[in-house]
Amino acid sequence: MTEETTAPLLEVSNLRTWFPSARGEIKAVDSVSFSLAPGEVLGLVGESGSGKSITGFSIIGLIDEPGRIVEGSIKLEGRELIGLQPHELRKIRGKTISMVFQDPMMTLNPVLSIGTQIRLALEAHENISAAEARERAIKALAQVRITDPERKVDFFPHQFSGGMRQRVAIAIALLHRPKLIICDEPTTALDVSIQAEILAEMKELVAELGTALIWISHDLATVASIADRVAVMRFGKIVEIGPALGVLTRPQHDYTKALLDALPSRAKPGELLLRGSGIADATPPSRKTATSDLPPLGSPYLVIDTAVKRFEKQAGLFKNLAIRTGIAQPQAVVQAVDGVSITLKRGEVLGLVGESGSGKSTLGRMAAGITVPTSGTIRLAGKPVMSAGRSPRKVTTRVQTIFQDPFASLNSRMRVGDIVAEGPLAHKLVSRAEAPEYVAQWLSAVGLDPSFANRFPHQFSGGQRQRIAIARALAMQPDVIVCDEPVASLDVSIQAQIINLLIRLRSELNLSLIFISHDLSVVRHLCDRVAIMYRGRIVEEGGAAAIYDNPQHDYTKRLLAAVPVLPTAA
Amino acid sequence: MLGFILQRLWQAAIVVLAMSALVFCGVYAVGNPIDVLISPDATQDIRAAVIAQYGLDLPLWQQYFGFLGRVFEGDFGRSFVYNMPVSELILSRLPATLELTLAAVLFASLVGIPIGMYAGYRPNSPVSRTIMALSILGFSVPTFWFGLMLIMLFAVQCGCMPAGGRGDTVSLFGVDFSFLTADGLSHMILPALNLALFKFSLMIRLARAGTRELMLSDTVKFARAAGISEFTILSRHVLRLISIPLVTVFGLELGSTLAFAVVTETIFSWPGLGKLIIDSITSLDRPVMVAYLMLVAMLFIVINLVVDLTYALLDPRLRKGRA
Repeated sequence: MTEETTAPLLEVSNLRTWFPSARGEIKAVDSVSFSLAPGEVLGLVGESGSGKSITGFSIIGLIDEPGRIVEGSIKLEGRELIGLQPHELRKIRGKTISMVFQDPMMTLNPVLSIGTQIRLALEAHENISAAEARERAIKALAQVRITDPERKVDFFPHQFSGGMRQRVAIAIALLHRPKLIICDEPTTALDVSIQAEILAEMKELVAELGTALIWISHDLATVASIADRVAVMRFGKIVEIGPALGVLTRPQHDYTKALLDALPSRAKPGELLLRGSGIADATPPSRKTATSDLPPLGSPYLVIDTAVKRFEKQAGLFKNLAIRTGIAQPQAVVQAVDGVSITLKRGEVLGLVGESGSGKSTLGRMAAGITVPTSGTIRLAGKPVMSAGRSPRKVTTRVQTIFQDPFASLNSRMRVGDIVAEGPLAHKLVSRAEAPEYVAQWLSAVGLDPSFANRFPHQFSGGQRQRIAIARALAMQPDVIVCDEPVASLDVSIQAQIINLLIRLRSELNLSLIFISHDLSVVRHLCDRVAIMYRGRIVEEGGAAAIYDNPQHDYTKRLLAAVPVLPTAA
Repeated sequence: MLGFILQRLWQAAIVVLAMSALVFCGVYAVGNPIDVLISPDATQDIRAAVIAQYGLDLPLWQQYFGFLGRVFEGDFGRSFVYNMPVSELILSRLPATLELTLAAVLFASLVGIPIGMYAGYRPNSPVSRTIMALSILGFSVPTFWFGLMLIMLFAVQCGCMPAGGRGDTVSLFGVDFSFLTADGLSHMILPALNLALFKFSLMIRLARAGTRELMLSDTVKFARAAGISEFTILSRHVLRLISIPLVTVFGLELGSTLAFAVVTETIFSWPGLGKLIIDSITSLDRPVMVAYLMLVAMLFIVINLVVDLTYALLDPRLRKGRA
């Protein structure tokens, strides 16, 4: 696998891909050079906007208008790809170079069967009969470990799970035995255990077929587990490139070091992570609600007792009648949370961990008084979080929520100041006259300039938006915050800032947090206690260190084993 | 699936029943047909006799339930004006409207969708910009004006097309159709074109919007990355994905065109349903109006049912009963 012995499969030199914009050219890829040997796996790492995906798209010749390759050369087995006619490029795509994308939900056509989609990809480069195509499709599915391929070939994408869909996409990418596959964040949308399976299978397939791989990812740990070499990108440039182990254990460039230091798995639990850009240390305004009636720190505070949440399918008029009279059974019941009891102590950070569909978000929403439990009680200091009756309402302001997607959770038509002030005004925590001052204090407490209050959410980055969401939650002066995957959609350095913010606020305000996440390293860093959820139940619960160092339940063990680990310097 | 169809038919029956009551009361309020039916100088006795003959002296609810009872026996009453069974009258006019609207809607779809897809595929080309500008014109030009212009241009000035009527018809399964004879076809072109204009523009805009959005999607990117040709991507991937909103609009437009082709049929003297309903409104021909509006309600229901079934055909996610 050393570069000297074999002629390179791919040689990219001085590649510049620019996108014109109102404020001049955006240099998405700015003078990138690297080469790739046959069968080699190159990890392309960087945060969003670093140009890593655009590099991939440039190589396969799929830069969307108005972007264009301004200069540079991309040589595949000595043949220059830049300047090829569209029909010549098309002959290379799928045959010599193919690509796998991030979200298999979006890449596969939902209205065509898997078999049809594979046939179309086959027909792109071969004359092939329908029967032959079906044979090949079945073989291709079997190759990526899809069981019962004869039947599954007629399935539609929605009948597969996320991991299965990604396997189908990989099968399509492998159809013509390409020499190079570009994988753009192929496991980002998947659960850890599925990610581990796909990673392992991909490694095996690549070794078996001798395919070279460009593995684009923001996640250093997954890259470390698959790549031979790693290139770190920032602002469209490669800042560091070298053997994976070397780059990740002895980084030379400051940016690589900063990226690695921002990872919670690298720091001691509870410690502040290395800061990316400055985060203000303004003190939050003092509480206006009484704190005297709160139980002392460390005593049980939010108590969830055998909470159950069932989602029933809506039935029509007649069906409903039939169900009510007992003739028919209610159908398609999803038991999202299946009798969970757990206690959050005051001042504690409780981690809720599980894969998608485990019920962790539903449990969090019930704790926050957003979702009505089917049965069971949720009490805050002895009082129910929600009122009883036919249409229960949340009756406390002491529990607030931070959601995963700061793009969806902030009303894009409201100014930031109004977003933050809305709740406190409604609950008379602050008068209308005092509101601007109050909002300004909270904005500076989360490290935002108070003048941002007049702007709209779309003017902010993901990390800034999440801070606005945190300010909004804090402005209600809660004692408990339910954080539902608050850092899942953020880059590592931004993630580090938000984690730091949460650590600081927690100790300053004596907050209790329920921290819901699928990211085990973040949970370990932040949480005192951890509960592992699986299929609507808590399978294991205990101190963070105990669970991580000595897991008892099989599921916990599997989950922990699936987490890719960064190599550490010897 | 059978349960679904039965449920829809049951809903349809309720809608038609409600429609009949609404229409019956509405038409009752429009005016007394007796003034139109008999000459003003008829004697009081004749007048009373005619009123009794049509049952117009009974209270409204009795008239309505009498009507309903006869409908269940397949009798929609007799037209006051034509003095023939309404069902026969409507059936004699239906084929003319049916072939005209089908021609218009099919033309609008078969030509409009590919043009719209092209405009969505190359949104910035001058051709696409021209197409989009013209489609706005197609939306905003009033039908009657466009019809008159067609007649002026093709029938009056150049004389190559007939200005009105159905032309020669051929009887097929006992029904007269125009599109099977050259003369009939030439009579159909102008009215069909006129009727198609709005739908044509609508299809273009819908197909363009859908295509434009999809061309930027990961589905298309992934297909391109597999080396699939642009034509295959458009014809196999994109067309299937944009077809669901298109089918919805197709159904709605087919229904409304069938029911309300009035303006075009009037301008081109096309002896279809639209002309019949206008005539019967002016002459207060109550049975025709009621039966016609019930038929329209029925048509909409049937078309919507077909549209819903087509959804299931087009989108596997809507099919039930598969793991």
